[in-house]
Amino acid sequence: MNTLMQLHFGQAAELLVPSLMHGFGVVIQATILGFLLATIIGMIIAIGRLSSLKIIKGILYVFLEIIRGTPLLVQLVYIYYVVPLLINLLASLFGYKVDMQIAPLTAGILGLGVNYGCYMSEVIRGAIVAVDSGQTEAALVLGFGKYQALFRIVIPQALRSIIPSLGNYLVMMVKDTSLLAYVAVNELLLRTQSFASQTFFTIESYTYLALAYLVISIPLSHLVKFIEYKLKTNRR
Amino acid sequence: MFNIYKLGKKFGDLDVLKSISMNIEKGEVVCIIGPSGSGKSTFLRCLNLLEVPTSGKVYYNGIILDADLDSKKLRREVGMVFQRFNLFPMFTVLKNITYAPIHINHMKKEAAKELAMSLLEKVGLADKADVYPATLSGGQQQRVAIARALAMQPNMLLFDEPTSALDPELVGDVLEVMKQLAADGMTMVVVTHEMGFARDVADRVIFMDKGYIVEEGPPEKIFNNPKHERTQAFLARVL
Repeated sequence: MNTLMQLHFGQAAELLVPSLMHGFGVVIQATILGFLLATIIGMIIAIGRLSSLKIIKGILYVFLEIIRGTPLLVQLVYIYYVVPLLINLLASLFGYKVDMQIAPLTAGILGLGVNYGCYMSEVIRGAIVAVDSGQTEAALVLGFGKYQALFRIVIPQALRSIIPSLGNYLVMMVKDTSLLAYVAVNELLLRTQSFASQTFFTIESYTYLALAYLVISIPLSHLVKFIEYKLKTNRR
Repeated sequence: MFNIYKLGKKFGDLDVLKSISMNIEKGEVVCIIGPSGSGKSTFLRCLNLLEVPTSGKVYYNGIILDADLDSKKLRREVGMVFQRFNLFPMFTVLKNITYAPIHINHMKKEAAKELAMSLLEKVGLADKADVYPATLSGGQQQRVAIARALAMQPNMLLFDEPTSALDPELVGDVLEVMKQLAADGMTMVVVTHEMGFARDVADRVIFMDKGYIVEEGPPEKIFNNPKHERTQAFLARVL
């Protein structure tokens, strides 16, 4: 009983929860922007890999291998610490003196966008290929161009079919924003870490942290399931 | 309208069309019959450049069809109806029909809608404007597809086995619409297995086999008095 008395969930909540609320804002911002970026990158890679130009296909293939072969955490650290240094180095080679730095959140969004974009590109590519070729032909014979057919007719159908899997990536990305703590983004994990180390409310703080993620990810994954269900029943 | 001279099409090593020469005149209804794999569909697809000929020459109103031609312009004038309809599933029937007129012909929305409704009337589906294609039967979908092709106000329509994917009892409605089109003077090239339609509606029937035109002529001649033994054998099987 005495041991349990040493826990201060109430006090910890009072102090930590307002800070976590601010952290939510960062998480949501990083997720929305990261996911938008990932969708754009995913689309570009998917279309690029479907092109008939071997050189584009080759470059994208190598890029995908690099991104999928390295951990997201390493990519984040690389973008935050190494990329600015590389740019500075390159600039000095050409005789310019720059001192580029990258803001933590920007690095985080870039990292999430690139990493998820690569994984999502495979899903998008598969969905584009899966759309019946008759759809493209129908658009072509009405006088649409190849790219008009792709963007107006094929891609909308492809995206519709993969909304559920993209939704799962969205939920995953919410959770992966915790990695942004390692590039100094003041999100939930970093806030909790600093709070716990100041107050020694270790059990309380990290329990609240876990709960905070559940508060976002459980409703979000149910929303995704709901949309999936709606799409299935509305399939006309 | 079309002057076709020694048209050939190869897919890799496979010779699908060998040497097709013929003309198609304005207002003519040409039916192409023949066994599966004889190159009928490929021939049709060469007329709107869905396939690019590998040899020979095809002229459309004096313009040569090759890979350099702006195929978009050609296809606005030469419409096509497919075996599997290929309606756009995410659009309503009305939007399926108005989409190309609005985006390609820059028609005003209202005018396109008016045109679409009159075409739906023509194919007997005016009450289906606001439903999605998947709720329609195959025969209804094909009639919408015909209305969609007509909405571009083409000079000519190509039909690629328009009734082959339909249940037998639905074929009649689609053929009826096509007959009406023919009576209105539309130039049509129809690849079909419907011998009754070819006999009644065609000005000219072409029998193709193994990438060649084996025999051609008015329907009475082809159906009642075929010269070539391959035509006779084919007709004996299908009639």
